[in-house]
Amino acid sequence: MTDRIHISPEDLALYAMRYLSAEESATVNQHLEECAICRTEVAELSGDMALLALSVEQHPLPEGARKRFIDRIAVDAVSTLPSTAAKPPVPLTAVSPSTARRSAAWLPWAAVAALIIVSAWLGAKINVLNQKLQEESNRAAELTMANAHAQEVLDVLTAPSAQRVVLTPAKTPPVPTGRAVYLAERGALIFQANNLARLDPDKTYELWIIPANGKSPIPAGLFRPDASGGASIVLPPLPKGIPAKAFGVTVEKAEGATAPTLPIILSGAAAPSGE
Amino acid sequence: MTENPSNPIRPPHRSSNEDPISSGLPAAPANDELLLNRVQGGDQKAMAEIFDRYGSTVYSVALRVLGDSGQAEDVMQEIFFQLWKSPYAFARERGSLGAWLAVITRHRAIDSLRRRKPTSSTDDVVLFSSTNLASEVERNTMMEKVRDVMNDLPSEQRKSVELAFFEGLSHSEIAAQTGDPLGTVKTRIRLALISLRKAIRA
Repeated sequence: MTDRIHISPEDLALYAMRYLSAEESATVNQHLEECAICRTEVAELSGDMALLALSVEQHPLPEGARKRFIDRIAVDAVSTLPSTAAKPPVPLTAVSPSTARRSAAWLPWAAVAALIIVSAWLGAKINVLNQKLQEESNRAAELTMANAHAQEVLDVLTAPSAQRVVLTPAKTPPVPTGRAVYLAERGALIFQANNLARLDPDKTYELWIIPANGKSPIPAGLFRPDASGGASIVLPPLPKGIPAKAFGVTVEKAEGATAPTLPIILSGAAAPSGE
Repeated sequence: MTENPSNPIRPPHRSSNEDPISSGLPAAPANDELLLNRVQGGDQKAMAEIFDRYGSTVYSVALRVLGDSGQAEDVMQEIFFQLWKSPYAFARERGSLGAWLAVITRHRAIDSLRRRKPTSSTDDVVLFSSTNLASEVERNTMMEKVRDVMNDLPSEQRKSVELAFFEGLSHSEIAAQTGDPLGTVKTRIRLALISLRKAIRA
């Protein structure tokens, strides 16, 4: 597949189209790490593929597709604050919108239809149903309150206008700090940092989980500080069940890295859970 | 973060005078970049503008691959939602937003076609593109031009590259289907891509 210097152009084309085997791709990846010429050729081929994609016949969007998307981001906007660090990337295994679409479409109608039928045919049971409905409403109200409380906690933690103060011994100049709260069993992480130095536009901070099992550090999110030096990462997509030995923050290129680049700007050892 | 550690492709290290993207090619999608900045700030209208600009293209590419409007919309919705959640997954040095979305859509649609997990995150597609897809007029003009070039390709080249790009057939599968030698298929795919590049840049 390779000659002494470069990957063959034919194989680079197949690589760009994702048709090489895992082994072949690994070989190409290794070569691309070191070869700007082949990296450029892959980028050129990807540009060619974009042209190819444009050759398709254009179709109008399905009816309601735009509204479904707008509604989806509106719902998301309500539950997520629009801060740089507060927008965790979306795992590609996220719930399919068609599932939500289908659910959203038939559930209310099914519920209404069921209520009408039950009400008409089983009039004697209306009181029972009303009682159940009341119970469900109460339960929903409780859930709403719980959600509101959780949202308020999240809002306070991530609001750009929140005052974040780290108390230190008197007369100690402010230093960068980070606080990570991590629930390994759920893969849930909340991280907040303060007094961070500003970065060049082509750089970003990256948070790493150092697993207790000695495996490679796990990237846990990119973030850039706001004007006051604060930043946060809320519930980034992480694997579950990996206890952390420590956390670290490094400065990486804007797109992030697959392995931390020294030096480690912030680090902290994690106590075993429950302690 | 959706980084794929298995693929280390990064934008090449470039100085300002060797980077065709950052050196101010007409493709530089200033508007797209501004919109993405607003999206990063949670601006839903900006995201709607991006959706309006590229939704049809993304949907059409997905539909071409999948042949099913429901599945195509799923892919489209997921790609734009991911852009909403992580607008900086697309960085300026990755090329033009429209071209990048088109390629990402093809990859995701092929993954969906083969019912496999995504083979790549959005982060690892870097492309050079001199096409300004932010403008509808130029986008339509480019589409016409690309279709003309495709029609002018030798039929074997066109068939091979379409089977690989849109139908999700690997070079081995194409060779088995057409009875052509594997090396010939590989060469045809690459030649078709190169022909497109040359014709558009001519």
